[in-house]
Amino acid sequence: MDQVLVVEGLKKSYGRLEALAGIDFEVGPGEIFALIGPNGAGKTTALRIVATLLSPSGGKVTFLGFDLKKQPEKFRERISYLPEEAGAYKNLKGTDYLKFMAKFYARSDQETNEFIARARDIADLGKRLNEKAGTYSKGMIRKLLLARALMTKPDLAILDEPTSGLDVINALEVREIVKRFAKEGISVLLSSHNMLEIEFLSDRVGLIDKGRILDRGTSQELKDKYGAKNLEEVFRSALQ
Amino acid sequence: MKKFLNLLVKEIKELITLQLFVSLLFTIFLFYFIGQMAKTEMKKAGRTQKIAVLNLDDSAFSNELVGNLKTANFQPEMIQGRDKQQAIEKTKASDTNFLLVIPRGFGQSIETQDIKEIETYSFLRSFSIVGSRSSIIINAVIRAMNEYLSNDFLKKRVPDVPPENLKNPIKSKDFVIVKDRMAEGKAEAVAGFVSSQSIFIPVILMMIIIYASQMVISAIAMEKQNKTLETLLTVPISRTSIVTAKMLASGLVGLISAVIYMVGFRYYMGGFMGDVSQAAAASGVTGVIQKLGLTMSTRGFLILGVSLFFAILVALAMATILGVLAEDYRSAQSLIMPMIFLVMIPYFMSFFADPKTLSLPAKILLYAIPFSHPFLTSQNLMLENYSAVLFGILYMLAVFIVLIIIAARIFSTDRVLTMKLRFRRKKA
Repeated sequence: MDQVLVVEGLKKSYGRLEALAGIDFEVGPGEIFALIGPNGAGKTTALRIVATLLSPSGGKVTFLGFDLKKQPEKFRERISYLPEEAGAYKNLKGTDYLKFMAKFYARSDQETNEFIARARDIADLGKRLNEKAGTYSKGMIRKLLLARALMTKPDLAILDEPTSGLDVINALEVREIVKRFAKEGISVLLSSHNMLEIEFLSDRVGLIDKGRILDRGTSQELKDKYGAKNLEEVFRSALQ
Repeated sequence: MKKFLNLLVKEIKELITLQLFVSLLFTIFLFYFIGQMAKTEMKKAGRTQKIAVLNLDDSAFSNELVGNLKTANFQPEMIQGRDKQQAIEKTKASDTNFLLVIPRGFGQSIETQDIKEIETYSFLRSFSIVGSRSSIIINAVIRAMNEYLSNDFLKKRVPDVPPENLKNPIKSKDFVIVKDRMAEGKAEAVAGFVSSQSIFIPVILMMIIIYASQMVISAIAMEKQNKTLETLLTVPISRTSIVTAKMLASGLVGLISAVIYMVGFRYYMGGFMGDVSQAAAASGVTGVIQKLGLTMSTRGFLILGVSLFFAILVALAMATILGVLAEDYRSAQSLIMPMIFLVMIPYFMSFFADPKTLSLPAKILLYAIPFSHPFLTSQNLMLENYSAVLFGILYMLAVFIVLIIIAARIFSTDRVLTMKLRFRRKKA
């Protein structure tokens, strides 16, 4: 199976601070790969590099055969990135925001409308989409942004803490949406420090700490390897 | 191009808010209101001035003197009675602001050349500009009376010579030369008219530059504050397009805001200055101005427009870089301050100093600030210093290219997300 994303020896430093010390992982078609680790482990840095926001200090990132350093624009055409604390333009209505974002990816007006229709379905915000995003709650903003990220059916959705700050019901809905879209063939690279969420969502997991991948595998493989009941115990054992 | 237009429309939509409309409308209304009020007051002040007169002398001479005030645009209102205190009370109760008291024996004292003092009373009913005109009016009354007295005296002593020839025997014919053009007229009248006509140019320049800079700094800072910048930077559009769309939208909205603001300002200033053009036409200054070629031609306005355009581009590029440094909207407001200073220095210098007479360091500072050049352009165009105008435009173009390269580089690297200036102390 050809991998959608291949990350090899990825390094990132901010001056003397080493955020990533050479990490490797890959994401297959329709696969949900999750990076889990504590705050400051390097999850967001890795996701930001793949999303073309940061340039790596070393290593190689290949997406559908395109090299990140040479062709970042090819990445941007076919990925979708949801930052952890992202917001929407407060003066734009929900639909206007979706339309604005859809136009960057659509090749025709018809396709723009298809993207918006899909986004409406994902966001499930009803008439509130006709109101300005400045009036939305945090949960509504997150759903709008997730809808924006998935409406174009990207080859790779990069989701940084997709359920961050959401209540139980909203978090559950978001997880189900992500899972549904992965089944439809979208590859997902996500990060979280919520181990239970990762166990429910991901096909494979990468344990990351202090810029290094400690271990990789499916949740079951890791639990068996470390003789643990859940991923939290796996992580604790891997740290030792 | 479609993607760029999509981005540009969004940027404009983000900038044109209800708050912006309300604040602009309020500003125009306020300026218009104050301007109209000032205009009415100025008109009132320009009318024939009423002056209460208590003539205790009542001689033929003093009556003639008072009657003559009418020719000097005053309207004397005679107060009956002989009591000064009563006259003061009467005037205080009326709408007249001035009282003239001619003492007993005034007419007689003229003949003996031991002239008695007359008394003037000004009733200050407010401390506004209009109210403070009383000393000017009283001086005008005294001047008119002195004129009448001295003319009368000279006519009696030297009846064959017109009094004017005795008072001002040396006559002058004044000429003003600008470059290779010469016209008959007074230098102060020409300079006064040109500066009154071009007083708006530096104000317009300053407003446009500051408005546009503020727009772009705020636009970038808001993207950071609202956490929308990261998403925008991952969409399939070049970083240069993102920078350009922000600059263009801010430039457009800044320009529109400044124009609307200036319409209000024009009303405001119009109220205080009155119709300068009409006054100048009446005094014949406009003819002198035309002869000297000190009018701005269409080509001149176009060149001024080009100069302003480049100044806006420099301001936008500079503001874009500063916007990246801002952490949020509040810090963006602090970052605009250095730019305001850079605009204010040439703004004040264009009013109060002649660049040619400045010391070398001050001259270098003035010309090094890109925004100085549009401020000097209108003067340079009138004085036909085209090389200075061209230098200014080329200098601004060079500064813009350097700044835009820096801005584009910042936007295409990590710095767009990692660069920031902190104004608040870090929490311990």
